[in-house]
Amino acid sequence: MTTQLTVGLAQLDSRLGQIEVNLGCHLEWIERAREKGVELLIFPELSLTGYRLLHLTGRVALRRNAPQIERLVQAAGRMSIIVGIVEEDDKGVLYNSSLLIHGGQVNHVHRKLYLPTYGIFQEGRFFGPGDTLELAQTDNRHLGMLICEDLWHPHLARSLAIAGAKMLTVLSAGPGRVGSGNVPESHRDWESLTRSTALVNTCWVLYCNRVGWEEGSFYTGGSHIVRPGGEVMARAPYLDEHLLVAEIDLREVDRLRWRLPLVRAVRTDIKGAR
Amino acid sequence: MIRKEEIRKRLELNAELAVAVLESFIRDAARTADAQGMVVGLSGGVDSALSTALAVHALGPEKVHAFFLPYSASTSESRRDAEATAESLGVDLPEIDITSMIDPYFDKYEPDADRLRRGNKMARERMSILFDQAKKKGCLVLGTSNKTEILLGYSTIFGDNASSINPLGDLYKQQVWQLAKHLDLPSAVIDKKPSADLWPGQTDEDELGFEYALADEVLYLMFDRGLAPDEVVARGYEAAVVEKIQELEQRNRFKRRLMLVARLSGSAINLDREIPRD
Repeated sequence: MTTQLTVGLAQLDSRLGQIEVNLGCHLEWIERAREKGVELLIFPELSLTGYRLLHLTGRVALRRNAPQIERLVQAAGRMSIIVGIVEEDDKGVLYNSSLLIHGGQVNHVHRKLYLPTYGIFQEGRFFGPGDTLELAQTDNRHLGMLICEDLWHPHLARSLAIAGAKMLTVLSAGPGRVGSGNVPESHRDWESLTRSTALVNTCWVLYCNRVGWEEGSFYTGGSHIVRPGGEVMARAPYLDEHLLVAEIDLREVDRLRWRLPLVRAVRTDIKGAR
Repeated sequence: MIRKEEIRKRLELNAELAVAVLESFIRDAARTADAQGMVVGLSGGVDSALSTALAVHALGPEKVHAFFLPYSASTSESRRDAEATAESLGVDLPEIDITSMIDPYFDKYEPDADRLRRGNKMARERMSILFDQAKKKGCLVLGTSNKTEILLGYSTIFGDNASSINPLGDLYKQQVWQLAKHLDLPSAVIDKKPSADLWPGQTDEDELGFEYALADEVLYLMFDRGLAPDEVVARGYEAAVVEKIQELEQRNRFKRRLMLVARLSGSAINLDREIPRD
């Protein structure tokens, strides 16, 4: 079985609260990615709805079997895609979710576990937190999915790596800040985090951030792919829409882990501070 | 601990990146609102010059409609500097003299009004004209208030602080100067003493009682970094100035939160129901 995978990061701008417009964009980007041979296409956090929804959140919520999702399943065909949606469960609770469409169906749903509710972030007011962390149910079970703030809690990436993840996808709607450097300050922080995650967990990290403006705040872009070991392999530009395509080899994870067995060495029997 | 001599350095921006971001803000706002362009009042000062320059870079000069809106007491320097700015950016600068819209009201009804009240009315008259022009042209009104004056409340509520979008509102005054230099705006505009030009010889810094560069640093420490006033003083700033800045910041908060609605229903606009404007 091949371990090579062509991945695409769809660094796009979403229109706030306009699902049909955004769905149309998703379908276009899926076609563009198909032309480039992409096998796994990743969209940003809440890509189908926009991020800063506030009291619009409930109006754009979808169930997993919504017709919009079915259209994405049809469009994806043999491609795997990960999109960000507001998900409503049977009890009416809303989640900030990422959906893996794979093998002609919704294969896995990750509900964001850490909902930032500080500074300009208000997620805890509108979403319920997820309570489960699992590998996606793909054939080889090597895919771990996280959303934005989840990555700032490093035990999640660690748990996925221990469970067998060789690549982590991180969907993001990361707002930008400008300081004295030639790179947005917010991006500098993100890249520290994605690189250190890839380094200590010896896995691929695929970070897809959006661009555009909402309510006077911009999203940085700068989506990137980090090799196991922490080197940035490819990076999209800041501020502008971009489809970043690269070929990754999951076998690279195994080769690195043979000589750097950090994940295998994890101990759970250490007493003391928790 | 942040040392006093480091603070100015911390306020330095990467001008190229900041300009690119602010241009994209203007383009996005025009697209989201389906607007034909921007309307802006050019006063001859650095704030309106920078706002206009950003809009011209973002949209092209043909989509930026600048107006010079003098009152009879406005100085000839203001006209000269506004014209130099417009010329350097390749935009026309039609003039609408507001004197005949201001004086009749005060002459007939409020002859004893002081110059502050007259200045406020001038600011609101200009706002009123800019919004009318924007309606006529299908444009947005481009704001020109910077972070320093917003925090100090050194503005006329519903006057110069009113706009459709404001690219400068998160830039301290010295950051405005920095970006203006980066964009090669006329040096006369950058170098002159800031003034609301409400009466001859007025300068902002005389009226406020401290320099903008100093206010920027004190505000940065208190507002951005969350230091208490005594912690700011401990870094070498004059206590009286810090106190004055803090007092202005607190007293004028009402100017930053427009439309205070009395909540009765449990679904009050902007309080219980925060609907994004985008």
